[in-house]
Amino acid sequence: MVEDDPKDVELSLSALEEYNLANEVIVTRDGEEALDYLYCRGKYKDRSSDNPAVLLLDLKLPKVDGLEVLRQVKSDEKLKIIPVVVLTSSHEEKDMVASYKLGVNAYVVKPVDFHEFVNAIKELGVFWAVINAAPPGSVRK
Amino acid sequence: MGLSNADLRKPLRAVKSYALALLYVAIALGTALFLASQNFQGVEFPVFLVAISITVWYEGTGPAILALVLSSLAFNYYFTEPLHTFYVTRSDLPYYAMFILFASLLTWFSAVRRRVERDLRQSRDELEKEVAVRTQQANLLNLTHDTIFVRDVSDIITYWNRGAQEMYGWTPEEAIGRCSHSLLQTVFPASLDDISAQLAQTGRWEGELRHVKADGTGVVVSSRWSLQRDEKGHPVATMETNNDITERKRREEEVRNLNQELGHRSSELEAANKELEAFAYSVSHDLRAPLRHMVGYAELLSKNASSVLNDKGHRYMAMILEAAKRMGNLIDDLLAFSRIGRAEAQKTIVNLDQLVKEAVSEVRQETSGRSIEWKIENLPQCYGDRSMLRLVLVNLVSNAVKFTRERTRAEIEIGCAAGSKREVEVFVRDNGAGFDMKYVGKLFGVFQRLHHADAFEGTGIGLATVQRVIHRHGGKVRAEGQVDQGATFYFSVPAA
Repeated sequence: MVEDDPKDVELSLSALEEYNLANEVIVTRDGEEALDYLYCRGKYKDRSSDNPAVLLLDLKLPKVDGLEVLRQVKSDEKLKIIPVVVLTSSHEEKDMVASYKLGVNAYVVKPVDFHEFVNAIKELGVFWAVINAAPPGSVRK
Repeated sequence: MGLSNADLRKPLRAVKSYALALLYVAIALGTALFLASQNFQGVEFPVFLVAISITVWYEGTGPAILALVLSSLAFNYYFTEPLHTFYVTRSDLPYYAMFILFASLLTWFSAVRRRVERDLRQSRDELEKEVAVRTQQANLLNLTHDTIFVRDVSDIITYWNRGAQEMYGWTPEEAIGRCSHSLLQTVFPASLDDISAQLAQTGRWEGELRHVKADGTGVVVSSRWSLQRDEKGHPVATMETNNDITERKRREEEVRNLNQELGHRSSELEAANKELEAFAYSVSHDLRAPLRHMVGYAELLSKNASSVLNDKGHRYMAMILEAAKRMGNLIDDLLAFSRIGRAEAQKTIVNLDQLVKEAVSEVRQETSGRSIEWKIENLPQCYGDRSMLRLVLVNLVSNAVKFTRERTRAEIEIGCAAGSKREVEVFVRDNGAGFDMKYVGKLFGVFQRLHHADAFEGTGIGLATVQRVIHRHGGKVRAEGQVDQGATFYFSVPAA
């Protein structure tokens, strides 16, 4: 999960907790850190080189923004098989079009309503981490 | 009358001339005979010569020859031996020949003189005619409003029309004889050598010149030069026609300045628009996030602290959640509203039937358990932005659904009012809560609501959005209604 807002992180994790998925979540706080994680560099240089099962990506991020992370992931031979779900606050059509053009796998607007939010997060977590058969080379705990 | 006066006059005049010749010779003969009878000797010769002279002078060559012949015969008959015969003695022959020779010479000289005189008169007449034509042409050049002057090969002004006087302020008397370039302080667009070369090559030149008038003010002229050449092709003069374009130049300059300002303004506007866009983008992200957190933590609190909260506490929690949700809806609607202003309309031919179907099916999700009678007419095609017009229909239809909530049997009608060829007017009619026509002006304003929030929820942006979209299409919106009798909303868009 790439998310700069700690409250969103906490709320998302609490939603995932109900399905015991929270412990599998790696949280990175900006685009640069996310890329460091994906490329196993910086503070993530010692991690196993497996890809995550799914990347939950906020668009408005410090340093490197979400669309740029998406562009780099989808243009990298090794990383482009990772399913990427954009999870954003905004209804901006521009962002949606840009994301789909870059090859995003799903685009979700975070609802204000907490139940909807929880449901959305849960469903995403369940779908991508449990139901969906992750591409080969992904982390599976 | 077959013959006109002119036709008759010519032979008459000839007859008259010959008759007069006869008369002059007769008078000369009478005079000579009278003088001979008075014993004057040797005068008959000059008397006949006088008669011939008069004839040749006044009546021309033909009558003069007649007079010569008659005089010779009369002279021979009356005055040379033997008298009263036409026989010429040998001794008289030189005398007689002398007479004929002299008379012939006289006639010839006279005839030559007459011819010279006639030629002279003719060329004078032609000259006069030429002068008249030239004067008329010069007058015509004076009549034109164009400024025309002529200068010779050394640029000395030789002609200066009235237009030139009016524009520059010098009279022809002042201008003629001066060098045009120094008089007018001409500023050329290129070097004078280049211009002269072009003039010599092609015979003409066109361009813009700057001149200074007699009063010292500057003037910009559009100038046309034409080169006049003599028969051998050598240049002799240049005619310069100038039109004052100072005002036009000034206006062009003004237009250029205005355009520049416009460009400046439009880039300012563009910058403002970009800022607004960035603002809206930021609002859509950053304003919704804290709301989401508020709702999220309130939910978590009510779940985790459910046992310690009393009824009041639960109600407060519910209020917080409701308020936050409403705030979320407001932000979404406002952003949608502002997006209409920013987004570029992508106009195509739109099938309104299809659009109504989509709008109704979208709204139907909210109508479960209600009895609504839909009356949907066939609609024509129109020309506009499909997604924007869809928003209009969704807004109007969901309004109709919302405000008929109290009816046991709701009726919603969508149809086409009588539009013109260029416009389609669509209406959405319901039998719902309606409104008081005295507030009709408030209906389409942002955040304007005619119902209490607890009666019908809403943000007050829906109809403002409708109006904005329709105005962007160049159409009109209007509404009719009556309290508790339903309402009808009309909008017009360009026909396909």
